[in-house]
Amino acid sequence: MTKQEVIVQVERIFHEVLNKTDIILTETTTAKDVEGWDSLTNMGIIVKVEETFGCRFKLREIIKMKNIGDLCDAILNQKNS
Amino acid sequence: MVSNSDVLADILSAIKQYSHHNAFVIEDKTYTYEDLGKKVANIYNCISALENNAIGIVAENDIETYASILAVLFSDKTYVILHPSYPCDRNLKIATLAGLKTVLCSDNTECDYLSRNGINILSSRIENNAVVDSILYTANGSSNAYVIFTSGSTGEPKGVPISRDNLNAFYKAYHQIGWKLDANDRMLQMFELTFDVSVVSTLYPLAIGACIYPVGYKDVKYLKVFDLLEQYELTFAAVAPSVLQLISPYFDEIRLPSLKYLVVTAEASQVELLSRFKNSIPNAEIYNLYGPTEATIYCTYYHTPVEGNCKQHNGMVAIGKPFMNTQVLIVNEDGAEVPRGTLGEMWVSGPQVMKGYFNDSQKSAEALVKDNNGNMFYKTGDLCIMDADEDIIYCGRKDYQVKIQGFRIELSEIEFNAKQYFDPIPNIVVIPVLSAGICSELHMVIEVETCDTTALHKYLSQKLPHYMLPKKIHCIGQFPTTASNKIDRKQISQLINN
Repeated sequence: MTKQEVIVQVERIFHEVLNKTDIILTETTTAKDVEGWDSLTNMGIIVKVEETFGCRFKLREIIKMKNIGDLCDAILNQKNS
Repeated sequence: MVSNSDVLADILSAIKQYSHHNAFVIEDKTYTYEDLGKKVANIYNCISALENNAIGIVAENDIETYASILAVLFSDKTYVILHPSYPCDRNLKIATLAGLKTVLCSDNTECDYLSRNGINILSSRIENNAVVDSILYTANGSSNAYVIFTSGSTGEPKGVPISRDNLNAFYKAYHQIGWKLDANDRMLQMFELTFDVSVVSTLYPLAIGACIYPVGYKDVKYLKVFDLLEQYELTFAAVAPSVLQLISPYFDEIRLPSLKYLVVTAEASQVELLSRFKNSIPNAEIYNLYGPTEATIYCTYYHTPVEGNCKQHNGMVAIGKPFMNTQVLIVNEDGAEVPRGTLGEMWVSGPQVMKGYFNDSQKSAEALVKDNNGNMFYKTGDLCIMDADEDIIYCGRKDYQVKIQGFRIELSEIEFNAKQYFDPIPNIVVIPVLSAGICSELHMVIEVETCDTTALHKYLSQKLPHYMLPKKIHCIGQFPTTASNKIDRKQISQLINN
């Protein structure tokens, strides 16, 4: 699975959780760039990502994710380990 | 030297006494009390001669915003927070209601809409080489320190003015709790500046020379809170229980031995949640602090027992004893005091209670009542029981006000705004959805067969701040009604949950 393929799937999760279809994610997108990406929705996004990709993050790992690129790297790390 | 009687005098002393201590760490950048003092002096010199009393402040997460708050307070003026993420319409409404002519702003690009509406914008980044000694602070108790605008039921925000006397009465009583905190402590500030717990989370640490670690409004709050607590080994944290709820799946990964105090506030706390979190904070004492904005931040406190049973009602932690000089009554529908152990509405009186809503005598008359001795009581709308030990047990809201992430919301304000979208206007109810006993999201239910919910949501997002927006919008052709022909919210709630 490539990073771009992961981003496409993560983007779909964002559309679903935030109930908006016009969100476009790039590796550098952060919570500050996406309206509605806050404490409550972040939890929903993480749960959905974990379900979809069959992985489980530690709180410290989630905190280290500063942008979408970091999230995708973390997913790929778990998929490849 | 802390006087414990005038919070601003104590802050000014701390700025001078602890000049080389850290005052703030914001986005990993450290500011000393000397840095803070210079910024405050620069802004103070810019605004102290202005004629208008109320000054707006656009609440960014930066040192200039916090310096602006202090400069306004030192110049005997009143601050009104405008939130950069709120719709322009709402901020303009607040500016009009408060009569703002001047707004302090650290990022002028965020303020164009205000200047287009005739408001004078002053940059809080101004540099004029002013020194702290140029601040001439004289205590004037009767003038308002701040006005906080809360959600109002007619669609108009409601202004709660808090005077310096109110604030100092709070300060004395809060200090009386007996915190063992000093200039070496590191304290969290996670609340939006539009919410009054941010006032104590800012002013109290500054009065004792401690260092503040704020969370920004753009941060993913629960992650940032945990990050600051762990990374900087914070010693004091006041948090909303919803933040703990969100990190609860990770409690077994969290260990914060530096934390001396955990305050839970802003909404009802669950006993079970606190008891699970205790293992992560082995050295912390836990306090539940309660208070309506109208009675200045907090007016009751409950120190949860280390061992043994925590007092509770339906799993919600008790709110304990009144603050020093605050009088509490539990009354029935007729305003008569009820016997111990009986449920009633809580009324509070004392020097922390506001004199009345900002320019709104009608709402003031509804919320405030005088007893036979001439004492003014604020009717909190909270249902409580006073137990045999004179501890107050919180049992829930009397009306349809709810709190989400600490924000108090009148459901009727959301309904009011949604109705403006329709012609003809249908029945609309907003239903709070509970998760573990805490209101976690709002659903809107409209009495129509079908409607364009995306367009309605977009319309509402231009009228209401994000925390008031419904998570889901449902259409029901016909609302169930009660025997007295009232809309049956309970049944509607069941319908949408099935």
